[in-house]
Amino acid sequence: MIVLDKVSKKFRLSKKQKREIGNGYKSNFIWSVSDVSFKCQPGRIFTLVGPNGAGKTTTLRMIATMLKPSSGKIRVAGYDTVKNPEHVRKNIGFLTGTTGLYARLTPKEFVKYYADLNGMDEAVFKKRRDDLFDILGINEFANRRIGKLSTGMKQKVSIARTMIHDPDVVIFDEPTVGLDVITSRSIIQLIKNSKKMGKTVIFSTHIMGEVSLISDDLAIIHNGKLLYNSTYENFIANMKTGTIEDEFIKIIKGA
Amino acid sequence: MKKTFIIFKKELLDTLRDKRTILVMIVIPLLLFPILINITTKITVKQRQKAEEKILNVALILNKNAESFKSLLKGNKKINLKENVKEHEITNKIRNGNIDFVIVFNKDFDSKVNARESGIVNLYYKSSEEVSIQKSRIVNLLKEFEDNLIFIRFKELKINRAIVKAVEINEHDIASMKEKFGEKIGGILPYIFVIFCFIGAMYPAIDLGAGEKERSTLETLLVSPAKRLQIVYGKFGVIFLAGIVTAVISVFSLFLTLKTSQEIPEEILTILLRIVDYKSILLVFTLLIPLCVFFAALLLSISIFAHSFKEAQSIMTPFNFLVIFPIFIGLFPGVKLDAVTALIPVLNVSLATKEIIFGTIKAGLLAEVYISLLILAGLSLCFCAKWFQRENIIFRNS
Repeated sequence: MIVLDKVSKKFRLSKKQKREIGNGYKSNFIWSVSDVSFKCQPGRIFTLVGPNGAGKTTTLRMIATMLKPSSGKIRVAGYDTVKNPEHVRKNIGFLTGTTGLYARLTPKEFVKYYADLNGMDEAVFKKRRDDLFDILGINEFANRRIGKLSTGMKQKVSIARTMIHDPDVVIFDEPTVGLDVITSRSIIQLIKNSKKMGKTVIFSTHIMGEVSLISDDLAIIHNGKLLYNSTYENFIANMKTGTIEDEFIKIIKGA
Repeated sequence: MKKTFIIFKKELLDTLRDKRTILVMIVIPLLLFPILINITTKITVKQRQKAEEKILNVALILNKNAESFKSLLKGNKKINLKENVKEHEITNKIRNGNIDFVIVFNKDFDSKVNARESGIVNLYYKSSEEVSIQKSRIVNLLKEFEDNLIFIRFKELKINRAIVKAVEINEHDIASMKEKFGEKIGGILPYIFVIFCFIGAMYPAIDLGAGEKERSTLETLLVSPAKRLQIVYGKFGVIFLAGIVTAVISVFSLFLTLKTSQEIPEEILTILLRIVDYKSILLVFTLLIPLCVFFAALLLSISIFAHSFKEAQSIMTPFNFLVIFPIFIGLFPGVKLDAVTALIPVLNVSLATKEIIFGTIKAGLLAEVYISLLILAGLSLCFCAKWFQRENIIFRNS
């Protein structure tokens, strides 16, 4: 379970950043996320939708404890992200479309590294690794250097790394960005499987096609503010335009 | 602690698989000295031999003087004597390379010499490094000729030649060999290991900080259960180790080269190897440890700040001068280790090394160097750890 309660995040602006925003901007800070509250339930897929720069990544980074909220509270798997960040991280898997891998390690070494950091028992790790490698088809290149693998193979290794410690909460930050159709589909399948296993899944995207594929709950974020938060069923039922995309644009423009 | 070690182990494995780091950390320090010392000494020796053995084309314009000098030249097998050169041709012939040297005796040379005055001889040549060795051969012949003339003068005047030497200086240098060479080696040694320590730590630092950001791998590490401090210490450990290993390899390579080089005279080599004993080297390396902590923390801080490999490199370049400059000052003859210089980072290591090799280090000053280095190391490591926890540094590019 993920619970966000009136979460905000402000960043200090450098002089250069202030110049880039424009002459009218007086404050030394910018609110990237403002007063955001929502709940992600286990066994459901929560989709966070918004255009580029809406505050999706900042929100997910706060959930993953990489950033501290300026105000408000976040609880992940029962732990406070500020008070118990290590416990939170032990319970999450985090995957983005731009996540890099250590090119000089092999998939076996790479996955073992994260298992060790998660303090996994050796026997449990081996069983889990073998299962994941079988499902994802990693065995044939498990001992090859990651730098020599194709994009699709790398993404499979990334998935194995994310899921190796069997996290209760899985965070996907635009995980299909820049991927081909086949690799994107394997990610979507992973998200669906995580839901089946009863995990709490939060997924950010700006691709409307993906929203309709997997969402159970939906939130729309724009300029750091939450504009919509309900179930996907409700969203469809109350649509005033013909397509999800048009409805999304209508909500954004109406803000 | 366990997680720090896990990160250290992984970063070490990753670093050792990086060809660029291996090149800077092991290959360059290992090969630099054998190549530098052997090749340069071989080239110098060969050039000298060539200059000494070359048959010189020497034109002699006697103007009906000094016949004995002509026979002196004729007797020298390494001189090809040319007598038909006119005075107005001198410059052209030398410039064209037809002739190496032209010796012109003034018309009144013999009469001046006979009157026991100085006869004038003009020596023409085109200067270069090679020619300076050849010139000494001609000058020595002229000196031999002059010696004969002086000998004749003393004989005619019936004077004992020793009479012109009123003072004979006998030098007695009481400095031991250790002291004589200590200063020279003491100056060079820190130059080698401090710079190699810095350079050796530089590439892993860039790779483990800015490199992680550039490859987008830092995020996955930050969402692992490892604490930020554990990540910093794990990375720092590898950078520190790389710096120390590079310094050790460079010094080891220098000594191995000295020991195996056949160009360095045996007696100098024995003295060199005797004065730089293992105890002194070990003591010097204990100074290097806190200095390397400082370097590693500084370089990692810069690397974490930068958002690309290239940016980290360009920020670190000026810091190279910050390292070279104090060592350079330490090479000046008047600069000594005292209560003030013992507090200046890098310079204190440079000066203390000199005194350790010299055998004159004072315990109080050495302690001051250690304390100042340890404080600096501690502060820089604390700064690096704090720096790594700042969101605006870690996510500077996003």
